[in-house]
Amino acid sequence: MSLRGFAANRNSYLIAAICLALMAIMLFPLVMSLLTSLKPAGEAGMWPPNYLPSRLSFSNYIEMYNYQAGLPLYLFNSFSVSFMTIGGCVTLASLAGFGLARFSIPYKEVFFLLLICGMMIPYQTLLTPLYMMFSGLGLQNTRVGLAIVHTAIQLPFSIFLMRHSFEAVPRELEEAALIDGCNSLQLLWWIFVPSVIPGIVSVALFAFLTSWNEFIGALIFMNKETMFTLPIMLVASRTGYYGSTDWGILQAGVIISIVPCVPVYLLLQKYYVSGLMRGAIR
Amino acid sequence: MYSTKSKYVGFAYIAPALLFVAAFTLYPLGQLFWMSLHNWSLLGGNKFIGFGNYLRAYQDPIFWSALFFTFQYTLYLTPILMILGYLFALLTSGTAGLVKLTRGTIFIPVVIGLGSSSLLWVWLFQPQIGLFNRLLVDLHIIPKPLVWFGADATLGLWGVIISITWKVVGFGMILFVAGIQSIPAEIIEGAEIDGASYWQRVARIIVPLNYRIILLVTLISAIGSMLAFEQFYIMTTGAPENQTITSVYWIYTNSFTYFKLGYGSTLSIMLMIIIVAGTSIQIALTRRRSLE
Amino acid sequence: MAASVPAMAGTTLSMWVRSDGEELTRKIIDAWNAGHDNKIQLTVIPSPQMVTKFATAAAAGDVPDILSIDLIFMPDFMKAGFMTDITDKMKDDPNIGRVSPSHIKLATYKDRLYGVPGTPDVSVLLWNKDLFRKAGLDPEKGPTTMQEVYEDAKKIRALGPDIYGYYIAGNCGGCNIFTVAPMMWATGAHVVPTSADDEALRDGDIKGVLEILHKMWTEGLMPEAVRGAGPSEFHSAFYPGKLGMFAHGNFQIGLIKNKAPNLDFGITFIPGLKEGEVSSFAGGDVISIPKRAKHPDDAIEFLKWVMTDEPQIEVYAKGNFLPSRTDLVNNKYFKDNPKLIKAAGAVAIAQTPWTFHFNDMVNDASSPWLKMIQRSVFDGQIDDSIVEARKRMREIISEE
Repeated sequence: MSLRGFAANRNSYLIAAICLALMAIMLFPLVMSLLTSLKPAGEAGMWPPNYLPSRLSFSNYIEMYNYQAGLPLYLFNSFSVSFMTIGGCVTLASLAGFGLARFSIPYKEVFFLLLICGMMIPYQTLLTPLYMMFSGLGLQNTRVGLAIVHTAIQLPFSIFLMRHSFEAVPRELEEAALIDGCNSLQLLWWIFVPSVIPGIVSVALFAFLTSWNEFIGALIFMNKETMFTLPIMLVASRTGYYGSTDWGILQAGVIISIVPCVPVYLLLQKYYVSGLMRGAIR
Repeated sequence: MYSTKSKYVGFAYIAPALLFVAAFTLYPLGQLFWMSLHNWSLLGGNKFIGFGNYLRAYQDPIFWSALFFTFQYTLYLTPILMILGYLFALLTSGTAGLVKLTRGTIFIPVVIGLGSSSLLWVWLFQPQIGLFNRLLVDLHIIPKPLVWFGADATLGLWGVIISITWKVVGFGMILFVAGIQSIPAEIIEGAEIDGASYWQRVARIIVPLNYRIILLVTLISAIGSMLAFEQFYIMTTGAPENQTITSVYWIYTNSFTYFKLGYGSTLSIMLMIIIVAGTSIQIALTRRRSLE
Repeated sequence: MAASVPAMAGTTLSMWVRSDGEELTRKIIDAWNAGHDNKIQLTVIPSPQMVTKFATAAAAGDVPDILSIDLIFMPDFMKAGFMTDITDKMKDDPNIGRVSPSHIKLATYKDRLYGVPGTPDVSVLLWNKDLFRKAGLDPEKGPTTMQEVYEDAKKIRALGPDIYGYYIAGNCGGCNIFTVAPMMWATGAHVVPTSADDEALRDGDIKGVLEILHKMWTEGLMPEAVRGAGPSEFHSAFYPGKLGMFAHGNFQIGLIKNKAPNLDFGITFIPGLKEGEVSSFAGGDVISIPKRAKHPDDAIEFLKWVMTDEPQIEVYAKGNFLPSRTDLVNNKYFKDNPKLIKAAGAVAIAQTPWTFHFNDMVNDASSPWLKMIQRSVFDGQIDDSIVEARKRMREIISEE
């Protein structure tokens, strides 16, 4: 299970040192970003650059909060679309992954390839035909429409992951349940799902992140500010002044887009790890 | 597994996803293919030219140089991500507070959008106001700030690789951690009792048992790199002189900057065929190995 | 084709603007909304994606009532039939003949009018008065020929190892069409072709301009970083106060006041090679009505209003933006600001290239225009690069 066994006492100092060094390296850009976002307006682009702000100022954040239709609306739009995307991906990928992993289907690998081929195309090029289709269906400029697009983008990877998770469940569990006379749905719900929780959690996490950060699809599909998602607002707010970048606003944007993701990650991580502990999973 | 009756049941399970993909991926893909047979302009207007676009792509030097550059990027980045990702996973798969904190910290950059991350690094690498450059100078690693993007293709490539490694290494790490943690403790402890050293245990037991997840992550990472676009669009803008243009960047340029949707579609289809071929070969090799 | 909704009190019109022009456009919209029953709802689209977004939306018919778009894209869109012909509606408008001629030209296709000027800006030459003083040059007198630019740059370069004379964006086609093309136009040159039968890069003295820039490069009067400089670096090159001269937009006037308030600088027209040769690039947005807009008759009122005295003076000029009305240069808000008056004067002498596939031809990293600049200025292959660029431009404009 865990590899703590390897860390003999003298090694644990080395390990700790490596951990701290790694954290410092990974966090350096973000700490700099945070400090810069707290600089007074305009100071972030100053030359030569200073590590620390001259004084702490929330002006960048205030500017972002009030930007156009207002940050809360953009957050709402982003959250709605992201959660719908999670729903779509988890549902469709779990069903498909189960089918692919535990049943024999004629031409299974062909179907599998069809399901995941979306992962091998640059999705940007599918946006134009999709937009035409959605426009005909009245789905453009809607959160549901965008969620469908995001699900389509994320589904191949989700299926890949779920198939792998389902395949890793030991045969014995399944056979025991079959002997007891379960049908496939009961099997799925009572036996398999608890065993593949880490996979489901991963799918949910990555679906959320993809949808949360997706920019170009959101821009093409949404026509009114009131429907814009967070990434669009971030790009629009930091370009201005005829093409110059407002670095302070940019950093504030980076911080703002990270902050909601951290609780999502922590929440999912809890289930992730505890799900693993619950059973022997291969 | 199941009786023959189950072949329909199995199909029923994959049907919803199949319908969804058929409507929202395969159908647009078909339209893409149809567009690739035309001189199709983003501004409307199209003329059927059969496989003329494909011939043109074959003769297009930028298509080939972009493809080569994308391969280069993938071949450099993937091993870096996999090795670092796995090492980090080994480091942080424990339950001690510090390692869990480290794991979370390494994962945080994954959470940021690619656009924001790329801009963050453009800022860090900036010669005049960039703090990364300033740090390198302060630590006496380089004498004066480097112009990372725009002047030199190699520096540009490595600048992108550094920034993407920072952002993405946590992704592989998390999946590898799941793989490592799923190995039953008895097996590890058994080997420890038998006198195997740490690295021997890693090489002989842990890695082989994680073979499938390693392959999966490598594949996904490689495909992602082949499709890389946004980071180059924002950081190098293809400079100098299109030497740091990736395949998808060239597709984007043709479709949306030059308005040539037909030709852009052609390039998309060709790129997809290349990636599908590569993936199929890899999957086929995997299946054969795992049967042995 | 959908019939247009008859004008009634309280209709909401939708308008798209690109993020570059947001500040001024918002002020204009606020002024309109304060005085009219029909309100305009503004949506800001990130500049680099504006064309893609509009083209996609237009193909599906999901267009706004009013569109504010970079004028250089108008020819492509007019040719594609995406814009509404407003010639007849504008026939009797008194202001059409009094606004920026370049914008009107870019909004005209086959003698029909499709838009009016929105948010104009022009390119000018800026010089650092402190550095001029230190180099023994008259700080109140800006250079009037490129030769003078060269000589002044040389003197300023001698002031110190990190002080440079001139700057161009070596990696940005759009930046150079904005600032280097006017030097060529000033000598009477014709730069980009208007059609497949129109030859590019002819007349005037294009070679002469490129030669002087090349000389400045080889003699180290421009910093090394110029070679890889993109729009971002170009934008902020002047603020540190270590650059003698450079050409950029009139909006630098406001920007420098914010970012480098202690910088003492002057503004003049971009010169050509001979005394008296001056020109400028007229950029910014054209406001138009997309073809399938839902309220075109109401939208037309806005287009007419935006050119009238009140918004031109009380919104544009008051906010230190250039009015599109060339007869309002000496308005009450500009009176004490010679820099703004000079910049506003550039609108009348400015040009804008009228061509198709502007991105291919100029803006893109592999455009023939940029290649020509790079090969001439950095590698000295002036004649060859002009010939090659001319050929490639002809290929591009001949494409469907």
